[in-house]
Amino acid sequence: MSNALIMKLENGARFTKEDRARLISMCEQSHGVPSRTDLICEGDKPSTVKLVLEGWACRYKTLQDGSRSIMAFLLPGDFCDLHVAILGQMDHSIATLSACTIVEIPRSVIEELSDHYPRIIRAFWWATLVDEGTLREWLVNMGRRPSNRQLAHLICELYVRLRSVGRADGQCFEFPVTQDELADTLGISAVHVNRTLQELREDGLIRMQNRTIVMPDWDRIVDFAEFSPNYLHLHDKAGTTA
Amino acid sequence: MPRFYFDIDDGSRVTRDDAGIEFDTRKSLCDGAVQVLAGIAVDELPNGSQRVFSAKVRDEEGRYVFHATLSLVCEWMGESEATGRLG
Repeated sequence: MSNALIMKLENGARFTKEDRARLISMCEQSHGVPSRTDLICEGDKPSTVKLVLEGWACRYKTLQDGSRSIMAFLLPGDFCDLHVAILGQMDHSIATLSACTIVEIPRSVIEELSDHYPRIIRAFWWATLVDEGTLREWLVNMGRRPSNRQLAHLICELYVRLRSVGRADGQCFEFPVTQDELADTLGISAVHVNRTLQELREDGLIRMQNRTIVMPDWDRIVDFAEFSPNYLHLHDKAGTTA
Repeated sequence: MPRFYFDIDDGSRVTRDDAGIEFDTRKSLCDGAVQVLAGIAVDELPNGSQRVFSAKVRDEEGRYVFHATLSLVCEWMGESEATGRLG
């Protein structure tokens, strides 16, 4: 399968052959991590930068009462902790949601890229800014929209992001997230998630087959969710048509 | 931990829970039901001046074991003209 990191970063950079070759060699040393496993915990001081090459992960925080809040989904091509080299200590945790392929990039490699690969570093910067834009969109989405539009918006975003790295086909994608995890993402109860999914199904906005979400009418769900992909800063404008 | 299923009626839509949630105490189930109704009410309101939201909770054998209702009642006090405008 094509390299998700390169597919993603090429939205924010014009790479040379050498840049691409360096990124591919950087991803050669990867390892598998089972689903629902912590990759990094709050307070850790990791010595490497982790990259999700395949699979799904999430950023989360645990509250004092033991409940969990999920603040981001990490998809193929997403970095877990790009600037931990500067910040030092993790202020949140990251766990896999499905089985993942993870690349661990030593700090020395990041330093080498800084010295010799300006386009790659610029693309890393771009990726960090897109992460911030996504977080802003989530704040608006989770804070201001009713649950049915929140969930529809999240589904639209995940589809466009997966499609941009070649991991979604047609108008459907594999969705490994459980109802409990969705509840921790949307800040509502699992029963409410179940009801909201049912509502989107009954209204014909989504179909669910095993662990796959199908969107029979892309324009309708985009309209319903008030989804605009501008904050993802993608070249192919994958969100405007499907 | 036993699993319970929440059938929700929001006055316009009835949804039958096929996923369920695990609870270990009566209090946690009761709190869970209240949280569900409050969350759904936030989504649905304001829409009408009379709404009843209810949750009926089934156990694993399909017996209803718990029922919670949340009602909204709005009404004007004193005489008012029905023009929609205030003042």
